[in-house]
Amino acid sequence: MVELKNVSVKYESTGVEALSDVSLKVEDGEFAFVIGRSGAGKSTLIKLLLKELDANSGEVYVNGYNLTKLKKRKVPEFRRTIGVVFQDYRLIDTMTVYENIAFVLRVIDAPKKQIRKRVPYVMSLVGLQDKADCYPSELSGGEQQRCALARALVNDPALLIADEPTGNVDPELAYELVELLQGINACGTTILMVTHAHEMVRHFGGRIINISEGEVVFDEVIGGTEIEAQ
Amino acid sequence: MKLSSFRYLVGQGFDNVWKNRVMAFASFCVLLVSLLLVGIAVLFYVNINAIIGGIEDKNEVIVYLSELITDERISALGDELLATDNIASVQLYTKEEAFEDLKADMSDQAIVFESLGDDNPLLDAYRIRVSDISRMDETLSITRNMADVDSVRSPDTFVELLTEVRRVVTIVAVAIIIALLIVSMVIISNTTRASVFSRRREISIMQSVGATKSFIRFPFFIEGMINGFMAGVFATILTWFAYDSLVDLLGRFDVLGTIGLGNVIPFSSIYLLVMVSYIVTGSLIGAFGSVLSTRVHLRYRAANM
Repeated sequence: MVELKNVSVKYESTGVEALSDVSLKVEDGEFAFVIGRSGAGKSTLIKLLLKELDANSGEVYVNGYNLTKLKKRKVPEFRRTIGVVFQDYRLIDTMTVYENIAFVLRVIDAPKKQIRKRVPYVMSLVGLQDKADCYPSELSGGEQQRCALARALVNDPALLIADEPTGNVDPELAYELVELLQGINACGTTILMVTHAHEMVRHFGGRIINISEGEVVFDEVIGGTEIEAQ
Repeated sequence: MKLSSFRYLVGQGFDNVWKNRVMAFASFCVLLVSLLLVGIAVLFYVNINAIIGGIEDKNEVIVYLSELITDERISALGDELLATDNIASVQLYTKEEAFEDLKADMSDQAIVFESLGDDNPLLDAYRIRVSDISRMDETLSITRNMADVDSVRSPDTFVELLTEVRRVVTIVAVAIIIALLIVSMVIISNTTRASVFSRRREISIMQSVGATKSFIRFPFFIEGMINGFMAGVFATILTWFAYDSLVDLLGRFDVLGTIGLGNVIPFSSIYLLVMVSYIVTGSLIGAFGSVLSTRVHLRYRAANM
């Protein structure tokens, strides 16, 4: 579960108020799109949810952790409960696809047996079973994004945050990726997907949170054109 | 940390040396040059000290005894001298021995000795060596005031010169070694920081998936240790080669012997100490330099997130 209570974030260096008195709640098992223009505050929201940034006021709860009061030494433990897919994939260039995905399990001291079982499973889930020994530089944009998704999923996180995951892939792949995320959501994982692609959001429908100038200006569930077409 | 994780991180450290070979090579070179600079400066200092020590060993003080001294008293005075602080060795030099030596030295003036007949104008003496040449004055003063001591002869100017040379050499050598250490630390620190900075993206990814600081730092520790170890090994080999070549050159032309010196320490008697010092120092500087740079980077990131 994600909950923000009257959260404000102001960047001291620029004086810009990125989020202003934002309150929202995303229940366990929900799928929500976060939309908004560049500079609206979407990236700040993600940094806040990853505890890369602290709110100036208000309270932030993620997966049962009160981030406002979370001690620094507890941050790694908290981050292990979240899976994140970044727009620029953020894969480690010197590791193979298998190693990139397995790294998350190594961080939590997972037994070798579990790593050997779980990694090939998530790789097959995203269709990368034949690319285990490839390095990120040897993959296409779509494959890198799927690798990033596999890495985010391997730890079976309660919450998956996808930061513009479709930004660097062609439209066809983008739709495939969202369908993949919907499948994951159907298994119980809460998904928060930040995107610019309004048309795609309209296509799939669901809960839409629109952020503009640091404020939530729209937060409702809409029916998708995909469903209407059916 | 589980054993499997430990093994994984050690393996990562080894892998990273190859994967980041350009920066690893830069760190290796910087460590190698730093170790060589400091190591060679230390070896020069140790050798100059040994040469000065060798000259000091040759330095001898003659304690002349009273003309009427008895044999028992000569023996007792010998014990008294040996028990005196800063006197390393005592050797009796009888007036008969001295007379024979004098005759041999002045064999071209035999007529002088013939005129003396059996009369021996010389005095019994003790040849003594001091442990610390810088305390020569103090030792001479004690010796002069002993009963039945006629006079004491010492090469004062030579002693003063040696003491001064050693003092200057020590100051200059220590200053050079400290300066080289500081310069080396600055260069090593900048290189390891550059190495860590070049991998900031990798570090930030590790943090974003929940890796602890120690989990991130450990492979850097191993990497730094490997670089330092290799630098230590190469520094030993290069020093060995350079040192032996220099000793060989000095020996071939007997440079030190010609100027009355000859106490360069052979590398075979110090190679173990040199090797261990290079490898341990290199490994420690490499490992902790990397960890420190990673720690600074992580702290900087935490402060600027």
